[in-house]
Amino acid sequence: MLRESSNRSDALDSLNLQGTVNPDADSGVPHGSLLTAFAEAAVRQTDALPGLREQIVSELGVQELVDAAGVVANFQRMVRIADGCGIPLDEFTRDATDDCREELGLHEYASAANTA
Amino acid sequence: MAFEYLGVDLPIREKTISSHRMSWEVIASPGRWWTGAERVEIARIGRAARDFDAVGSDILLEAAVFAIQKLVVDNANLNPEWYQEIIASEGMTEDRYVELVAVVVHALSIDEFHRALGLELESLPQPVGGNPTCERPAEAEQRSSWPPIVPKSGLNHGDEMLYGPMEWGANVISALSLIPENVRWLHDLSEGHYLSFAEMRMPDPLRAISRPQIELIAARVSALNECFY
Repeated sequence: MLRESSNRSDALDSLNLQGTVNPDADSGVPHGSLLTAFAEAAVRQTDALPGLREQIVSELGVQELVDAAGVVANFQRMVRIADGCGIPLDEFTRDATDDCREELGLHEYASAANTA
Repeated sequence: MAFEYLGVDLPIREKTISSHRMSWEVIASPGRWWTGAERVEIARIGRAARDFDAVGSDILLEAAVFAIQKLVVDNANLNPEWYQEIIASEGMTEDRYVELVAVVVHALSIDEFHRALGLELESLPQPVGGNPTCERPAEAEQRSSWPPIVPKSGLNHGDEMLYGPMEWGANVISALSLIPENVRWLHDLSEGHYLSFAEMRMPDPLRAISRPQIELIAARVSALNECFY
C-alpha cells in the first residue's frame, strides 16, 4: 500500500522502503522520520511519546497528530487479527510484493510461515 | 455517554467517536459464544496485559486468559500449534476463540488511540444481560487461515459489499468472519481510525496526513510487530 500510494503521489520523488524497518533510514516520505518515530514510541510506549506528540503538532498540526494516532491504533489491531488467525498473504499482495519482502527481511518474521 | 472527550483539546473526528461508542456497545452485549460480562472481562484482561499486568479472572477459564495475554503482548510468536492447543482447551472452541480475538483487538485498538494521544482510557462498559446465541453460520469453511471463515453468502444481510468483489474477501477482512458481525465491526472501526472501504481506493483521501504518510505509519507499526501480512 505504501509503494502504491507513493507511486500515485506528487509529493514524493522516491520511496525508500527501508524506512519502514530501519528507523535510521530516510523513507523519502515528507516528515516520515517523525511519523515513524511517533509510531514506534506509541507501540513501545516509550518516554519519547509526549515530546513526539508536541513535535508533530508543531511541525505538522494537531489534526495530523490525531490522524496519525488513528493509524497506529488501527494497525495495532490489524496485525493481531493477522497473527491471531494465521492468515497468509493474499495472492495479489504476494505477487506484488515478492521483490521487496526479501530485501526488507520480512521472511525472518515468525508469521511468514503462514504464507506458503 | 461513553467517549465524551470532555476537556480534550484535540480535533477527534466524529466518525472516530461514533465507532468507539459502537465498539463499546458491541463489547458489552452478548455475542454468539460469550456473555456480555465475559466479553467485558476479555477486554479488561487485554487492557491489563498491555501494561504487562498478567491479571487473573474469576469468570474466564485459564486458556482464555492466556490467549488474551498472548494476543496482546506476544502476537508475533503465535503459531498453528499454539492455536490448536488453545481451541482444544477446556471451555474453548474455534468459535469462542474468534469472538475472543475480535473483542481483544477492537478494545485494544481504541485504547491504543487514547494512549498514542496521551488520553485517559475510557472506563469499560457495563455488561448487558442475556445469553449468547450459539449460532455458527452454516456456510463456514476451513480455508487458508487457522479458524474457518464464511464466504459472502454467509455474511449478515446488507454486509455482502464489505467483501468487495471477492467471494471470500481479502484474508484480513474475512479472518474473523466465523462471527459474521465482526466483518461490519472491523470496517466500522477502520473507518474511525484509518480509512473507509471506499477511501482505501483513493490516492488522496480526506485526512490531514497524506496517503504515503498514512501507509508509512501503517507499515512501521506492522514491522514493529514483526507482522508478515
